[in-house]
Amino acid sequence: ARLWKLLSYIVALPGVGVCMLNCYLKAQGDHERPEFIPYAHLRIRTKPFPWGDGNKTLFHNPHVNPLPTGYED
Amino acid sequence: MAHQAHSYHMVDPSPWPIFGAAAGLLTTSGLITWFHYNSSTLLTLGLLSMLLVMLQWWRDVVRESTFQGHHTPTVQKGLRYGMILFITSEAFFFLGFFWAFFHSSLVPTPELGGQWPPAGIKPLNPLEVPLLNTAILLASGVTVTWAHHSITEGNRKQAIHALTLTILLGFYFTALQAMEYYEAPFSIADSVYGSTFFVATGFHGLHVIIGSSFLSVCLLRLIKFHFTSNHHFGFEAAAWYWHFVDVIWLFLYMTIYWWGS
Repeated sequence: ARLWKLLSYIVALPGVGVCMLNCYLKAQGDHERPEFIPYAHLRIRTKPFPWGDGNKTLFHNPHVNPLPTGYED
Repeated sequence: MAHQAHSYHMVDPSPWPIFGAAAGLLTTSGLITWFHYNSSTLLTLGLLSMLLVMLQWWRDVVRESTFQGHHTPTVQKGLRYGMILFITSEAFFFLGFFWAFFHSSLVPTPELGGQWPPAGIKPLNPLEVPLLNTAILLASGVTVTWAHHSITEGNRKQAIHALTLTILLGFYFTALQAMEYYEAPFSIADSVYGSTFFVATGFHGLHVIIGSSFLSVCLLRLIKFHFTSNHHFGFEAAAWYWHFVDVIWLFLYMTIYWWGS
């Protein structure tokens, strides 16, 4: 168990830490959203979703997910 | 008083299998009424009964094994085969979704703009949160191995530490994925890209939640002294399942996140 304890604290968890730092640094400059182009193959609505008004996906985020008619905000 | 002349476990009659089947029927028909007739009653009943059956069936297995001693080495061997076969069937399940992904991404149709990712899709950067998630799952594979060795060596304190760390890493992965799902600029309805992405990663996430739950039950049992240093198959099964979840993620990461971007 000693080997795996060492691997956990010296390799695995610091590895996670480095990746966390990397994500934090990269997230600093990421805030423009693409323009809305009403492509036919995107935002498909063959049938309403069984929740809400039937037009929003389960993880709908009004800031980055446009509806078939465009961004809401 | 008659005793059995073999090392197998002839299980007492139990209502859980048929109740489980009934729960399956309620859940599947519940999905239909939810999708087509706007009613979620059957579905709620189905999921609730499924949960109750699982809790009670597995509680009975713990009673039969840990408290009543029915799990001889022969019985354990059978359980090992069973878990291996189950995980193999899950591997085939995911294989289908990988097939679907490659079917659509290797020959992108004109409707998608003849390219992959399709026109208008901005894929997630594989070197940001997805890479962190990879590190998290790999780290949890190391910590669960640490836990296993600690159990075999009879080191209770370290086993509890290591298993707790594993579970925390699992929760961290799930939380990050949920955040990614919310922040993604594309949705499940965005062409076959969205379909393959969210169905494959979605089922994977479900399996992470299942694996984390299994490990949590093991932690509870570990704390309650259910495991011995050479008989702890419940933990081994959970650890195998967890490694499987990790491997599936590695394939997802290399194919959908990295090659597919």
